[in-house]
Amino acid sequence: MSEDKFDRGTALTIFGTDRHEDLVALVLSLVIALLVYLYV
Amino acid sequence: MVYTQRTLWPLIMGIIMVAYAYLVQSGAVESILIKPLGTGRLAGEMQILGYTFGGIAIVVGLWQLIAKTAEGHVDYYLSTIGGVTFIMLVAFIVKWGLDPLMAMWGRDAQPALGFNFASVMNLNYVVMGIVAGIITVNVFKVPGWAENGVRLSRLGLKTGVILLGALYSFAELQQLGKLSVVLIGVFVLGSVGVVLWWGARRNLPNSMTGVLSAGVGVCGVSAAVAAAPVVQAKSTEIAYTIGTILLFGVICMFVFPIVGKALGMGYIQFGAWAGTGILNSAQVAGAALAFQPNGIETLKVAEIFNITRVLFLPIIVIWLAIWYVKREVGAQKVDVGQVLISKFPLFVLGFILMFLLSSTGIFAPARHYQGAYFDNSEKVMVKKDRSGKEINNYLKDPDLEVLKKEAEKIKRDDQKTALQRLIDNKKLMSIDDDDTLRGVVNAKILSKEGNAVLTKAHRAVRHTAAKIAMFRDLIAWFFTFGLVGLGMQITMASIKQAGGQPLVIGSVVGVIKAVGSLIVVMLLVHETI
Repeated sequence: MSEDKFDRGTALTIFGTDRHEDLVALVLSLVIALLVYLYV
Repeated sequence: MVYTQRTLWPLIMGIIMVAYAYLVQSGAVESILIKPLGTGRLAGEMQILGYTFGGIAIVVGLWQLIAKTAEGHVDYYLSTIGGVTFIMLVAFIVKWGLDPLMAMWGRDAQPALGFNFASVMNLNYVVMGIVAGIITVNVFKVPGWAENGVRLSRLGLKTGVILLGALYSFAELQQLGKLSVVLIGVFVLGSVGVVLWWGARRNLPNSMTGVLSAGVGVCGVSAAVAAAPVVQAKSTEIAYTIGTILLFGVICMFVFPIVGKALGMGYIQFGAWAGTGILNSAQVAGAALAFQPNGIETLKVAEIFNITRVLFLPIIVIWLAIWYVKREVGAQKVDVGQVLISKFPLFVLGFILMFLLSSTGIFAPARHYQGAYFDNSEKVMVKKDRSGKEINNYLKDPDLEVLKKEAEKIKRDDQKTALQRLIDNKKLMSIDDDDTLRGVVNAKILSKEGNAVLTKAHRAVRHTAAKIAMFRDLIAWFFTFGLVGLGMQITMASIKQAGGQPLVIGSVVGVIKAVGSLIVVMLLVHETI
Protein backbone atom coordinates (compact mmCIF):
# COMPACT_ATOMS: atom_id res chain seq x y z
CA MET A 1 0.00 0.00 0.00
CA SER A 2 1.55 3.30 -0.91
CA GLU A 3 0.76 6.70 0.59
CA ASP A 4 -0.35 8.35 -2.64
CA LYS A 5 -2.77 5.58 -3.55
CA PHE A 6 -5.52 7.19 -1.48
CA ASP A 7 -6.60 10.78 -1.85
CA ARG A 8 -7.98 10.74 1.73
CA GLY A 9 -6.10 9.51 4.79
CA THR A 10 -2.88 7.52 4.63
CA ALA A 11 -1.88 3.90 4.02
CA LEU A 12 -2.52 3.24 7.74
CA THR A 13 -5.87 4.93 8.24
CA ILE A 14 -8.86 6.24 6.32
CA PHE A 15 -8.90 9.38 8.46
CA GLY A 16 -7.12 12.61 7.58
CA THR A 17 -5.40 13.04 10.95
CA ASP A 18 -4.65 11.00 14.07
CA ARG A 19 -6.92 13.34 16.01
CA HIS A 20 -9.83 12.62 13.67
CA GLU A 21 -9.28 8.88 14.14
CA ASP A 22 -9.09 9.30 17.93
CA LEU A 23 -12.33 11.25 17.91
CA VAL A 24 -14.15 8.58 15.89
CA ALA A 25 -12.82 5.88 18.26
CA LEU A 26 -14.08 7.94 21.21
CA VAL A 27 -17.57 8.42 19.73
CA LEU A 28 -17.77 4.74 18.77
CA SER A 29 -16.75 3.70 22.29
CA LEU A 30 -19.33 5.97 23.90
CA VAL A 31 -22.09 4.61 21.64
CA ILE A 32 -21.07 1.03 22.52
CA ALA A 33 -20.96 1.91 26.24
CA LEU A 34 -24.47 3.39 25.98
CA LEU A 35 -25.79 0.27 24.24
CA VAL A 36 -24.19 -1.98 26.85
CA TYR A 37 -25.65 0.19 29.63
CA LEU A 38 -29.14 0.12 28.13
CA TYR A 39 -29.44 -3.45 26.88
CA VAL A 40 -27.16 -5.75 28.91
CA MET B 1 -11.92 9.40 -6.56
CA VAL B 2 -14.61 6.70 -6.28
CA TYR B 3 -13.60 3.96 -3.83
CA THR B 4 -16.49 1.54 -4.20
CA GLN B 5 -15.67 -1.39 -6.43
CA ARG B 6 -18.32 -3.49 -8.09
CA THR B 7 -17.54 -6.91 -6.70
CA LEU B 8 -19.53 -9.89 -5.50
CA TRP B 9 -17.17 -10.63 -2.61
CA PRO B 10 -18.84 -8.67 0.23
CA LEU B 11 -22.15 -10.30 -0.72
CA ILE B 12 -20.59 -13.79 -0.87
CA MET B 13 -18.82 -13.33 2.48
CA GLY B 14 -22.04 -12.00 4.02
CA ILE B 15 -23.99 -15.05 2.83
CA ILE B 16 -21.29 -17.39 4.21
CA MET B 17 -21.44 -15.66 7.62
CA VAL B 18 -25.23 -15.69 7.86
CA ALA B 19 -25.36 -19.31 6.66
CA TYR B 20 -22.82 -20.37 9.29
CA ALA B 21 -24.70 -18.52 12.04
CA TYR B 22 -27.90 -20.28 10.93
CA LEU B 23 -26.19 -23.70 10.88
CA VAL B 24 -24.92 -23.11 14.43
CA GLN B 25 -28.35 -21.95 15.58
CA SER B 26 -30.12 -24.94 14.03
CA GLY B 27 -27.61 -27.39 15.49
CA ALA B 28 -26.68 -28.74 12.03
CA VAL B 29 -22.92 -28.37 12.64
CA GLU B 30 -23.06 -29.48 16.28
CA SER B 31 -21.73 -33.00 15.67
CA ILE B 32 -19.30 -32.21 12.82
CA LEU B 33 -17.73 -28.94 14.02
CA ILE B 34 -18.84 -27.61 17.40
CA LYS B 35 -18.44 -30.80 19.48
CA PRO B 36 -15.22 -32.12 17.90
CA LEU B 37 -13.56 -28.70 18.33
CA GLY B 38 -15.07 -28.09 21.76
CA THR B 39 -16.40 -24.66 20.82
CA GLY B 40 -19.87 -25.02 22.32
CA ARG B 41 -19.31 -22.08 24.69
CA LEU B 42 -18.74 -19.83 21.63
CA ALA B 43 -22.04 -20.74 19.91
CA GLY B 44 -23.72 -17.56 21.17
CA GLU B 45 -21.12 -15.19 19.73
CA MET B 46 -20.99 -17.24 16.50
CA GLN B 47 -24.67 -16.48 15.96
CA ILE B 48 -24.64 -12.83 17.03
CA LEU B 49 -21.49 -11.90 15.08
CA GLY B 50 -22.38 -14.08 12.08
CA TYR B 51 -25.83 -12.54 11.67
CA THR B 52 -24.66 -8.97 12.41
CA PHE B 53 -21.60 -8.78 10.14
CA GLY B 54 -23.12 -11.10 7.54
CA GLY B 55 -26.33 -9.05 7.42
CA ILE B 56 -24.47 -5.75 7.02
CA ALA B 57 -22.23 -7.24 4.31
CA ILE B 58 -25.23 -8.57 2.37
CA VAL B 59 -27.09 -5.23 2.47
CA VAL B 60 -24.05 -3.10 1.59
CA GLY B 61 -22.76 -5.67 -0.93
CA LEU B 62 -26.11 -5.59 -2.75
CA TRP B 63 -26.22 -1.79 -2.64
CA GLN B 64 -22.72 -1.57 -4.10
CA LEU B 65 -23.71 -3.92 -6.92
CA ILE B 66 -26.95 -2.17 -7.79
CA ALA B 67 -26.56 1.51 -6.91
CA LYS B 68 -24.70 4.06 -8.96
CA THR B 69 -21.84 5.27 -6.79
CA ALA B 70 -20.55 8.81 -6.90
CA GLU B 71 -17.56 10.35 -5.18
CA GLY B 72 -18.33 11.48 -1.63
CA HIS B 73 -18.59 10.48 2.02
CA VAL B 74 -21.15 7.70 1.43
CA ASP B 75 -18.93 6.05 -1.18
CA TYR B 76 -15.80 6.51 0.93
CA TYR B 77 -17.09 5.16 4.24
CA LEU B 78 -19.26 2.37 2.81
CA SER B 79 -16.28 1.17 0.77
CA THR B 80 -14.74 0.03 4.09
CA ILE B 81 -17.43 -2.62 4.63
CA GLY B 82 -15.83 -5.12 2.21
CA GLY B 83 -12.49 -4.96 4.06
CA VAL B 84 -14.08 -5.09 7.51
CA THR B 85 -16.05 -8.19 6.47
CA PHE B 86 -12.89 -9.72 5.01
CA ILE B 87 -10.95 -9.18 8.27
CA MET B 88 -13.82 -10.52 10.35
CA LEU B 89 -14.13 -13.62 8.17
CA VAL B 90 -10.40 -14.33 8.63
CA ALA B 91 -10.83 -13.70 12.38
CA PHE B 92 -13.83 -16.08 12.56
CA ILE B 93 -11.93 -18.86 10.77
CA VAL B 94 -8.92 -18.40 13.03
CA LYS B 95 -10.77 -18.00 16.34
CA TRP B 96 -13.53 -20.57 15.88
CA GLY B 97 -11.63 -23.03 13.67
CA LEU B 98 -7.84 -22.95 13.69
CA ASP B 99 -7.36 -21.99 17.35
CA PRO B 100 -9.33 -24.95 18.81
CA LEU B 101 -7.99 -27.26 16.08
CA MET B 102 -4.35 -26.44 16.94
CA ALA B 103 -5.10 -26.81 20.66
CA MET B 104 -6.57 -30.27 19.94
CA TRP B 105 -3.62 -31.33 17.72
CA GLY B 106 -1.19 -30.03 20.32
CA ARG B 107 -2.80 -32.19 23.03
CA ASP B 108 -3.03 -35.23 20.73
CA ALA B 109 0.62 -35.01 19.68
CA GLN B 110 1.90 -34.44 23.23
CA PRO B 111 2.50 -38.12 24.09
CA ALA B 112 4.56 -38.63 20.89
CA LEU B 113 6.48 -35.33 20.96
CA GLY B 114 6.87 -34.99 24.70
CA PHE B 115 5.56 -31.41 24.64
CA ASN B 116 2.44 -29.54 23.51
CA PHE B 117 3.63 -27.83 20.31
CA ALA B 118 0.58 -25.52 20.13
CA SER B 119 1.28 -24.23 23.62
CA VAL B 120 5.07 -23.99 23.24
CA MET B 121 4.84 -22.24 19.86
CA ASN B 122 1.99 -20.08 21.13
CA LEU B 123 -0.32 -21.08 18.29
CA ASN B 124 -3.41 -19.26 19.56
CA TYR B 125 -5.92 -17.14 17.65
CA VAL B 126 -4.02 -13.88 18.22
CA VAL B 127 -0.72 -15.11 16.78
CA MET B 128 -2.42 -17.07 13.99
CA GLY B 129 -4.66 -14.08 13.16
CA ILE B 130 -1.67 -11.78 12.72
CA VAL B 131 0.21 -14.43 10.74
CA ALA B 132 -2.90 -14.96 8.55
CA GLY B 133 -2.91 -11.20 7.89
CA ILE B 134 0.81 -11.15 7.05
CA ILE B 135 0.42 -14.14 4.69
CA THR B 136 -2.65 -12.57 3.06
CA VAL B 137 -0.91 -9.29 2.23
CA ASN B 138 2.46 -10.75 1.24
CA VAL B 139 1.43 -13.91 -0.63
CA PHE B 140 -2.01 -13.14 -2.06
CA LYS B 141 -2.18 -9.32 -1.69
CA VAL B 142 -5.14 -7.59 -0.04
CA PRO B 143 -7.83 -7.29 -2.71
CA GLY B 144 -8.55 -3.73 -3.90
CA TRP B 145 -12.14 -3.80 -2.55
CA ALA B 146 -10.80 -4.66 0.94
CA GLU B 147 -8.05 -2.04 1.22
CA ASN B 148 -10.17 0.70 2.78
CA GLY B 149 -11.51 -1.66 5.44
CA VAL B 150 -7.99 -2.80 6.33
CA ARG B 151 -7.17 0.88 6.95
CA LEU B 152 -9.72 0.75 9.82
CA SER B 153 -7.69 -1.73 11.89
CA ARG B 154 -5.97 1.00 13.93
CA LEU B 155 -9.40 2.47 14.71
CA GLY B 156 -10.36 -0.96 16.05
CA LEU B 157 -7.31 -1.07 18.33
CA LYS B 158 -7.93 2.47 19.61
CA THR B 159 -11.60 1.72 20.30
CA GLY B 160 -10.49 -1.42 22.16
CA VAL B 161 -8.10 0.64 24.32
CA ILE B 162 -10.80 3.22 25.15
CA LEU B 163 -13.33 0.51 26.09
CA LEU B 164 -10.66 -1.18 28.20
CA GLY B 165 -10.91 1.86 30.53
CA ALA B 166 -14.24 0.45 31.79
CA LEU B 167 -12.51 -2.60 33.27
CA TYR B 168 -10.14 -0.93 35.72
CA SER B 169 -10.74 -0.16 39.36
CA PHE B 170 -9.19 2.80 41.21
CA ALA B 171 -6.94 0.48 43.22
CA GLU B 172 -5.55 -1.20 40.09
CA LEU B 173 -4.89 2.08 38.32
CA GLN B 174 -3.23 3.54 41.39
CA GLN B 175 -0.90 0.57 41.84
CA LEU B 176 -0.10 -0.02 38.17
CA GLY B 177 0.05 3.70 37.38
CA LYS B 178 2.84 4.39 39.87
CA LEU B 179 4.88 1.44 38.66
CA SER B 180 4.36 2.27 35.00
CA VAL B 181 5.39 5.91 35.36
CA VAL B 182 8.68 4.85 36.97
CA LEU B 183 9.45 2.00 34.54
CA ILE B 184 8.32 3.82 31.40
CA GLY B 185 9.99 7.05 32.50
CA VAL B 186 13.34 5.34 32.88
CA PHE B 187 13.16 3.25 29.71
CA VAL B 188 11.51 5.77 27.37
CA LEU B 189 13.71 8.70 28.33
CA GLY B 190 16.72 6.38 28.51
CA SER B 191 16.27 4.94 25.04
CA VAL B 192 15.54 8.33 23.45
CA GLY B 193 18.68 9.69 25.11
CA VAL B 194 20.83 6.74 23.97
CA VAL B 195 19.63 7.02 20.34
CA LEU B 196 20.28 10.78 20.29
CA TRP B 197 23.77 10.31 21.75
CA TRP B 198 24.68 7.37 19.51
CA GLY B 199 23.27 8.96 16.35
CA ALA B 200 25.38 12.07 16.97
CA ARG B 201 28.52 9.97 17.48
CA ARG B 202 27.85 8.10 14.23
CA ASN B 203 27.26 11.39 12.40
CA LEU B 204 23.72 10.48 11.35
CA PRO B 205 21.69 13.48 10.16
CA ASN B 206 19.91 15.15 13.11
CA SER B 207 16.54 14.63 11.44
CA MET B 208 17.19 10.87 11.09
CA THR B 209 18.40 10.53 14.68
CA GLY B 210 15.45 12.56 15.99
CA VAL B 211 12.74 10.56 14.27
CA LEU B 212 14.42 7.23 15.13
CA SER B 213 14.70 8.16 18.81
CA ALA B 214 10.97 8.93 19.00
CA GLY B 215 10.08 5.66 17.25
CA VAL B 216 12.37 3.50 19.39
CA GLY B 217 11.65 5.34 22.64
CA VAL B 218 7.93 6.06 22.73
CA CYS B 219 5.24 4.17 20.84
CA GLY B 220 6.61 3.17 17.48
CA VAL B 221 5.15 4.23 14.16
CA SER B 222 2.77 6.90 15.52
CA ALA B 223 5.56 8.52 17.52
CA ALA B 224 7.89 8.57 14.51
CA VAL B 225 5.18 10.20 12.41
CA ALA B 226 4.35 12.71 15.20
CA ALA B 227 7.99 13.69 15.73
CA ALA B 228 8.86 13.91 12.03
CA PRO B 229 7.70 17.51 11.43
CA VAL B 230 9.57 18.98 14.41
CA VAL B 231 12.92 17.49 13.31
CA GLN B 232 12.08 18.09 9.64
CA ALA B 233 12.58 14.42 8.77
CA LYS B 234 12.55 13.36 5.13
CA SER B 235 10.14 10.66 3.98
CA THR B 236 13.04 8.21 3.46
CA GLU B 237 14.11 8.75 7.08
CA ILE B 238 10.57 8.10 8.31
CA ALA B 239 10.51 4.96 6.13
CA TYR B 240 13.84 3.75 7.63
CA THR B 241 12.45 4.24 11.12
CA ILE B 242 9.11 2.56 10.38
CA GLY B 243 10.93 -0.38 8.76
CA THR B 244 13.17 -0.80 11.82
CA ILE B 245 10.28 -0.53 14.27
CA LEU B 246 8.11 -2.95 12.32
CA LEU B 247 10.86 -5.55 11.93
CA PHE B 248 11.80 -5.35 15.60
CA GLY B 249 8.17 -5.16 16.75
CA VAL B 250 7.04 -8.19 14.79
CA ILE B 251 9.93 -10.27 16.16
CA CYS B 252 9.12 -9.09 19.70
CA MET B 253 5.43 -9.88 19.29
CA PHE B 254 6.22 -13.54 18.62
CA VAL B 255 9.25 -13.95 20.91
CA PHE B 256 8.03 -12.13 24.06
CA PRO B 257 5.14 -14.54 24.87
CA ILE B 258 7.38 -17.58 24.37
CA VAL B 259 10.06 -16.11 26.68
CA GLY B 260 7.39 -15.03 29.18
CA LYS B 261 5.96 -18.54 29.38
CA ALA B 262 9.42 -20.13 29.56
CA LEU B 263 10.28 -17.88 32.53
CA GLY B 264 6.94 -18.62 34.21
CA MET B 265 5.96 -14.95 34.29
CA GLY B 266 2.59 -13.93 35.74
CA TYR B 267 0.06 -11.60 34.13
CA ILE B 268 1.34 -8.46 35.84
CA GLN B 269 4.99 -9.25 35.16
CA PHE B 270 4.41 -10.05 31.50
CA GLY B 271 2.08 -7.07 30.96
CA ALA B 272 4.63 -4.73 32.52
CA TRP B 273 7.45 -6.18 30.42
CA ALA B 274 5.54 -6.13 27.11
CA GLY B 275 4.24 -2.61 27.76
CA THR B 276 7.75 -1.36 28.45
CA GLY B 277 9.94 -3.44 26.17
CA ILE B 278 8.00 -3.66 22.88
CA LEU B 279 8.34 -0.65 20.61
CA ASN B 280 4.99 -0.40 18.82
CA SER B 281 1.61 0.04 20.56
CA ALA B 282 -0.26 -2.47 18.39
CA GLN B 283 2.38 -5.12 18.97
CA VAL B 284 2.14 -4.62 22.74
CA ALA B 285 -1.54 -5.60 22.52
CA GLY B 286 -0.64 -8.51 20.21
CA ALA B 287 1.98 -9.91 22.59
CA ALA B 288 -0.26 -9.48 25.67
CA LEU B 289 -3.19 -11.28 24.04
CA ALA B 290 -0.88 -13.95 22.63
CA PHE B 291 0.45 -14.56 26.17
CA GLN B 292 -3.08 -14.86 27.60
CA PRO B 293 -5.53 -15.45 24.73
CA ASN B 294 -8.49 -16.50 26.87
CA GLY B 295 -8.40 -13.66 29.35
CA ILE B 296 -7.83 -9.97 29.46
CA GLU B 297 -5.75 -9.46 32.65
CA THR B 298 -2.36 -9.30 30.87
CA LEU B 299 -3.76 -6.94 28.24
CA LYS B 300 -5.05 -4.63 30.98
CA VAL B 301 -1.62 -4.38 32.61
CA ALA B 302 0.20 -4.01 29.29
CA GLU B 303 -2.15 -1.25 28.15
CA ILE B 304 -1.61 0.80 31.31
CA PHE B 305 2.11 0.75 30.50
CA ASN B 306 1.40 1.47 26.85
CA ILE B 307 -0.86 4.41 27.68
CA THR B 308 1.72 5.80 30.10
CA ARG B 309 4.24 5.55 27.25
CA VAL B 310 1.89 7.30 24.81
CA LEU B 311 1.48 10.07 27.38
CA PHE B 312 5.22 10.66 27.16
CA LEU B 313 4.85 11.47 23.45
CA PRO B 314 4.25 15.24 23.78
CA ILE B 315 7.17 15.49 26.22
CA ILE B 316 9.48 13.65 23.83
CA VAL B 317 8.31 15.79 20.89
CA ILE B 318 9.15 18.94 22.87
CA TRP B 319 12.53 17.50 23.90
CA LEU B 320 13.32 16.64 20.26
CA ALA B 321 12.18 20.06 19.07
CA ILE B 322 14.47 21.84 21.54
CA TRP B 323 17.33 19.40 20.80
CA TYR B 324 16.91 19.96 17.05
CA VAL B 325 16.74 23.77 17.31
CA LYS B 326 19.99 23.74 19.29
CA ARG B 327 21.80 21.65 16.69
CA GLU B 328 20.44 23.00 13.42
CA VAL B 329 21.10 26.54 12.24
CA GLY B 330 17.91 28.15 10.95
CA ALA B 331 15.50 25.63 12.49
CA GLN B 332 12.19 27.16 13.62
CA LYS B 333 11.62 27.74 17.35
CA VAL B 334 8.91 25.63 18.93
CA ASP B 335 5.76 26.73 20.74
CA VAL B 336 5.74 24.27 23.65
CA GLY B 337 2.07 24.84 24.53
CA GLN B 338 0.98 24.33 20.95
CA VAL B 339 2.97 21.07 20.66
CA LEU B 340 1.46 19.78 23.92
CA ILE B 341 -2.07 20.43 22.67
CA SER B 342 -1.60 19.23 19.09
CA LYS B 343 0.29 16.03 19.98
CA PHE B 344 -1.77 14.97 22.98
CA PRO B 345 -3.38 11.61 22.10
CA LEU B 346 -7.13 12.09 22.42
CA PHE B 347 -7.88 8.37 22.70
CA VAL B 348 -6.03 8.33 26.03
CA LEU B 349 -8.54 10.91 27.27
CA GLY B 350 -11.25 8.55 26.02
CA PHE B 351 -9.73 5.75 28.10
CA ILE B 352 -9.76 7.97 31.19
CA LEU B 353 -13.34 9.08 30.46
CA MET B 354 -14.47 5.45 30.20
CA PHE B 355 -12.70 4.62 33.47
CA LEU B 356 -14.45 7.55 35.19
CA LEU B 357 -17.82 6.47 33.78
CA SER B 358 -17.23 2.94 35.03
CA SER B 359 -16.13 4.28 38.43
CA THR B 360 -19.57 5.82 38.96
CA GLY B 361 -20.87 2.26 39.15
CA ILE B 362 -23.07 2.36 36.04
CA PHE B 363 -21.59 -0.85 34.60
CA ALA B 364 -20.91 -2.69 37.84
CA PRO B 365 -20.94 -1.82 41.54
CA ALA B 366 -18.19 0.76 42.03
CA ARG B 367 -16.03 -1.52 44.16
CA HIS B 368 -15.83 -4.21 41.51
CA TYR B 369 -12.49 -5.86 40.88
CA GLN B 370 -12.00 -7.29 37.39
CA GLY B 371 -15.75 -7.28 36.91
CA ALA B 372 -16.45 -9.20 40.11
CA TYR B 373 -18.20 -7.55 43.04
CA PHE B 374 -19.30 -8.38 46.57
CA ASP B 375 -22.98 -8.78 47.47
CA ASN B 376 -24.28 -10.84 50.41
CA SER B 377 -27.81 -9.43 50.52
CA GLU B 378 -30.78 -11.73 51.06
CA LYS B 379 -31.86 -11.54 47.41
CA VAL B 380 -28.62 -13.14 46.19
CA MET B 381 -28.22 -15.57 49.08
CA VAL B 382 -31.63 -17.10 48.48
CA LYS B 383 -32.87 -17.01 44.90
CA LYS B 384 -34.87 -19.04 42.44
CA ASP B 385 -33.51 -20.75 39.33
CA ARG B 386 -35.26 -20.76 35.95
CA SER B 387 -37.55 -23.62 36.92
CA GLY B 388 -38.64 -21.75 40.02
CA LYS B 389 -36.68 -24.00 42.41
CA GLU B 390 -35.22 -22.20 45.43
CA ILE B 391 -31.41 -22.07 45.70
CA ASN B 392 -30.07 -21.37 49.18
CA ASN B 393 -26.46 -20.14 49.17
CA TYR B 394 -26.03 -20.03 52.97
CA LEU B 395 -23.53 -22.54 54.38
CA LYS B 396 -25.24 -25.71 55.61
CA ASP B 397 -24.70 -27.44 58.96
CA PRO B 398 -22.23 -30.06 57.61
CA ASP B 399 -20.17 -27.18 56.08
CA LEU B 400 -20.13 -25.36 59.41
CA GLU B 401 -19.06 -28.54 61.22
CA VAL B 402 -16.03 -28.84 58.89
CA LEU B 403 -15.02 -25.23 59.60
CA LYS B 404 -15.52 -25.56 63.38
CA LYS B 405 -13.39 -28.71 63.44
CA GLU B 406 -10.54 -27.03 61.58
CA ALA B 407 -10.73 -23.58 63.19
CA GLU B 408 -7.82 -24.30 65.51
CA LYS B 409 -5.44 -24.66 62.56
CA ILE B 410 -5.76 -20.92 61.98
CA LYS B 411 -3.35 -18.86 64.06
CA ARG B 412 -3.69 -15.28 62.83
CA ASP B 413 -6.22 -13.16 64.77
CA ASP B 414 -7.78 -11.45 61.73
CA GLN B 415 -8.28 -14.82 60.04
CA LYS B 416 -9.75 -16.34 63.22
CA THR B 417 -12.21 -13.43 63.57
CA ALA B 418 -13.26 -13.61 59.91
CA LEU B 419 -13.82 -17.37 60.18
CA GLN B 420 -15.86 -17.01 63.36
CA ARG B 421 -18.04 -14.36 61.71
CA LEU B 422 -18.57 -16.71 58.77
CA ILE B 423 -19.57 -19.56 61.11
CA ASP B 424 -21.93 -17.31 63.10
CA ASN B 425 -23.72 -15.85 60.08
CA LYS B 426 -23.43 -18.79 57.64
CA LYS B 427 -22.27 -16.30 55.00
CA LEU B 428 -19.34 -13.93 54.48
CA MET B 429 -20.17 -10.57 56.02
CA SER B 430 -17.78 -8.19 54.26
CA ILE B 431 -15.40 -7.90 51.35
CA ASP B 432 -12.53 -7.72 53.86
CA ASP B 433 -13.57 -11.01 55.46
CA ASP B 434 -13.74 -12.53 51.99
CA ASP B 435 -10.23 -11.30 51.14
CA THR B 436 -8.86 -12.49 54.48
CA LEU B 437 -10.29 -15.98 54.06
CA ARG B 438 -9.09 -16.16 50.43
CA GLY B 439 -5.65 -15.79 52.01
CA VAL B 440 -6.39 -18.86 54.15
CA VAL B 441 -7.41 -20.82 51.03
CA ASN B 442 -4.32 -19.72 49.09
CA ALA B 443 -2.01 -20.62 51.98
CA LYS B 444 -3.65 -24.09 52.13
CA ILE B 445 -3.95 -23.90 55.92
CA LEU B 446 -7.12 -26.01 56.05
CA SER B 447 -7.79 -29.44 54.56
CA LYS B 448 -9.18 -29.88 51.04
CA GLU B 449 -12.66 -30.12 52.54
CA GLY B 450 -12.21 -26.96 54.57
CA ASN B 451 -10.93 -25.05 51.57
CA ALA B 452 -13.91 -26.26 49.52
CA VAL B 453 -16.31 -24.81 52.11
CA LEU B 454 -14.47 -21.47 52.13
CA THR B 455 -14.54 -21.39 48.32
CA LYS B 456 -18.27 -22.14 48.38
CA ALA B 457 -18.83 -19.21 50.76
CA HIS B 458 -16.67 -17.00 48.51
CA ARG B 459 -18.66 -17.91 45.38
CA ALA B 460 -21.94 -17.18 47.13
CA VAL B 461 -21.04 -13.51 47.63
CA ARG B 462 -18.90 -12.76 44.55
CA HIS B 463 -20.77 -12.02 41.37
CA THR B 464 -19.67 -11.19 37.85
CA ALA B 465 -21.20 -8.06 36.39
CA ALA B 466 -22.93 -8.90 33.09
CA LYS B 467 -22.06 -5.50 31.61
CA ILE B 468 -18.37 -5.89 32.44
CA ALA B 469 -18.39 -9.41 30.95
CA MET B 470 -19.92 -7.95 27.77
CA PHE B 471 -17.24 -5.23 27.68
CA ARG B 472 -14.57 -7.94 28.00
CA ASP B 473 -15.95 -9.86 25.00
CA LEU B 474 -16.30 -6.71 22.89
CA ILE B 475 -12.77 -5.56 23.72
CA ALA B 476 -11.32 -8.96 22.77
CA TRP B 477 -13.09 -8.72 19.39
CA PHE B 478 -11.96 -5.14 18.74
CA PHE B 479 -8.37 -6.20 19.40
CA THR B 480 -8.75 -9.31 17.26
CA PHE B 481 -10.10 -7.19 14.39
CA GLY B 482 -7.31 -4.63 14.84
CA LEU B 483 -4.56 -7.22 15.02
CA VAL B 484 -5.66 -9.26 11.99
CA GLY B 485 -5.93 -5.97 10.05
CA LEU B 486 -2.54 -4.92 11.41
CA GLY B 487 -1.07 -8.15 10.04
CA MET B 488 -2.46 -7.17 6.64
CA GLN B 489 -0.50 -3.91 6.84
CA ILE B 490 2.86 -5.56 7.59
CA THR B 491 4.28 -5.82 4.10
CA MET B 492 7.74 -7.19 3.32
CA ALA B 493 8.29 -4.02 1.30
CA SER B 494 7.87 -1.82 4.38
CA ILE B 495 10.11 -4.07 6.51
CA LYS B 496 12.77 -4.08 3.78
CA GLN B 497 12.95 -0.30 4.16
CA ALA B 498 14.91 -0.89 7.36
CA GLY B 499 18.61 -0.80 6.81
CA GLY B 500 22.00 0.76 7.45
CA GLN B 501 22.89 2.65 10.62
CA PRO B 502 19.27 3.32 11.71
CA LEU B 503 18.61 -0.44 11.75
CA VAL B 504 21.77 -1.12 13.79
CA ILE B 505 21.10 1.66 16.32
CA GLY B 506 17.35 0.95 16.54
CA SER B 507 17.86 -2.79 17.00
CA VAL B 508 20.64 -2.48 19.60
CA VAL B 509 18.68 0.08 21.65
CA GLY B 510 15.51 -2.03 21.23
CA VAL B 511 17.28 -5.16 22.50
CA ILE B 512 18.81 -3.25 25.45
CA LYS B 513 15.35 -1.91 26.32
CA ALA B 514 13.74 -5.36 26.04
CA VAL B 515 16.41 -7.16 28.08
CA GLY B 516 16.81 -4.31 30.58
CA SER B 517 13.07 -4.08 31.21
CA LEU B 518 12.87 -7.89 31.56
CA ILE B 519 15.53 -7.85 34.28
CA VAL B 520 13.90 -4.94 36.12
CA VAL B 521 10.43 -6.50 35.90
CA MET B 522 11.66 -9.90 37.14
CA LEU B 523 13.43 -8.24 40.06
CA LEU B 524 10.89 -5.60 41.06
CA VAL B 525 7.43 -6.59 39.87
CA HIS B 526 5.50 -9.19 41.80
CA GLU B 527 2.07 -10.59 41.11
CA THR B 528 0.72 -9.18 44.34
CA ILE B 529 1.31 -5.46 43.72
